[in-house]
Amino acid sequence: MSDHGCIHLNNFKAAKGIQPYKVIHSYFVTSTSAEARVRKAVSCLCHTCKTYKDRLHSCLHCIFFGCYVKGHIQEHAKTKKHFLAVDLSYGNILCFQCGDYVYDRELLAVAKSQWSESAKSLSLGEFYRAWEPTQIEAELLRKNPRRRRIVENSTIGLRGLINLGSTCFMNCIVQALIHTPLLRDYFLADRHHCPQPSRCLVCEVSHLFQEFYSGSKAPLTLHKLLHLIWTHARHLAGYEQQDAHEFFIATLDVLHRHCEAAPILVKDNPHHCNCIIDQIFTGGLQSDVVCQACNGVSTTIDPFWDISLDLGPAAGASGSDSSGPPTSLLDCLERFTRAEHLGSSAKIKCSNCQTYQESTKQLTMKQLPIVASFHLKRFEHSSIQDKKISTFISFPEQLDMTPFMSHRRNGNNNSASLDALPKNGEDTAFSDNRYCLFAVINHEGSLETGHYTAFIRQQRDQWFKCDDHLITRAKLKDVLTSEGYLLFYHKQILEYGRNSKM
Amino acid sequence: MKTAPHQRLVMAGDRDVLKELLRRRLVECGWRDQVKIICKELIKENGQDITYDTLLSMVTSRARSLVPDSVKKELLQKIKNQLMSQEESLKM
Repeated sequence: MSDHGCIHLNNFKAAKGIQPYKVIHSYFVTSTSAEARVRKAVSCLCHTCKTYKDRLHSCLHCIFFGCYVKGHIQEHAKTKKHFLAVDLSYGNILCFQCGDYVYDRELLAVAKSQWSESAKSLSLGEFYRAWEPTQIEAELLRKNPRRRRIVENSTIGLRGLINLGSTCFMNCIVQALIHTPLLRDYFLADRHHCPQPSRCLVCEVSHLFQEFYSGSKAPLTLHKLLHLIWTHARHLAGYEQQDAHEFFIATLDVLHRHCEAAPILVKDNPHHCNCIIDQIFTGGLQSDVVCQACNGVSTTIDPFWDISLDLGPAAGASGSDSSGPPTSLLDCLERFTRAEHLGSSAKIKCSNCQTYQESTKQLTMKQLPIVASFHLKRFEHSSIQDKKISTFISFPEQLDMTPFMSHRRNGNNNSASLDALPKNGEDTAFSDNRYCLFAVINHEGSLETGHYTAFIRQQRDQWFKCDDHLITRAKLKDVLTSEGYLLFYHKQILEYGRNSKM
Repeated sequence: MKTAPHQRLVMAGDRDVLKELLRRRLVECGWRDQVKIICKELIKENGQDITYDTLLSMVTSRARSLVPDSVKKELLQKIKNQLMSQEESLKM
């Protein structure tokens, strides 16, 4: 197989140019528009035997489709002396005079750009392609011949963080973010390109990833990150200890805003943000309010970045069933997604029967994020007193979110016909909702004085405790028996559909 | 698959989406790397002038048997769902 085309193809290109290939490729190989897909569906059949499969080829010289397996394209080539054909599955050129497929750089470049167009027309972002270094990357690889092989017990990616005076809340959140697998893949693949690097938090995080993976072990100082957060989230400015959860949400918010400065357009919904933060952290929470008089349901779906879970005894628990405080993450989630009676003092105007009625409200997961972050509400602030709840709440290494999904939790009541149908790329029957724990943030001490530390997972199943500048190995048991304040889970199987977010 | 359902999947773009899913699953599970190694070895054994057809005839059955059942099952289920939802929307 040659990689510079062949004499026959070159002669053809000299006579007719690349236009014939362009047209065939954009319509029948990777359709670049909806119109092209219709044409492909209707006309891509073997002109001799009418099959749509069996390695269909298109003649490059005239309008003829023929299958290869039953020899119909070969027949055409022979009788018409049209010796070049395009394979319609992959876009490769078959030269009958050479007796094999031939590669041509120019045509390959056409194919590549049409691939991108096609993926965009399907709102898929980009089709998978094996990585090929660009000219700049190839140059960099040549200039830096030292390769680093990551061995099993490697500690690459681990670095302590200096405490700048009560900044452990920031250090532990940064550790959790740096060890979020998909976020790491995004930044180490150099995907963020920025118009304003000096003021951009995303650029700073990108820089931090380089620092963490540089191989150096000296602890880092996050003064620039802190300064950027202070500038962009003013309520966190100051030298006192902050709440790690609040810092986490504020950081995501600033990152999301700075990603938007270099927006990624989503074709079918320009208001929907597709930045890396939203792709990884945003889920959809469904709220169903059911009128007790007419059973009318009003449903709303709101985006969320994390789920805050109550730890106290269920307030106003009506029934006899499990009214005690939760003891596990699953308890908390069960309670979070349970239908709650809103009571006679909170009557809501029902949009169905137009009267003020008592109702029940239920929250469920409509769409799961790739990283599910749970906030156990250990700090209780009320008018009477502020206190910290230090009860042990068990949480699993592996978590299946299926029981808390909208279609599972309340399949019986609302939207019986239309919404119950599977939509494109979103089929409830097969979806896998298993998650794996990858970071836990703990708070030691009391409400007034305390210290944050983080457990993070590295290289699949190794755990480390990050206590500011100190990093020590930890066992899974240490993680699972820790108090737990923020829990981070990563989805195990990623969906790549049109409606799913990757 | 009969021609009409196939055409509907192509027309709606579902075929491209499913094909992309399959491609990524095969990369994820290491199938692509495995098949690449097999091909490299065959080319080494048979010389680099080996034609595509010869290579294909030697690789196809081995490569097919290497596709994990979970991937086949997932794709089958998704194709089924897609066709069923198309059918439903045609009824309405």
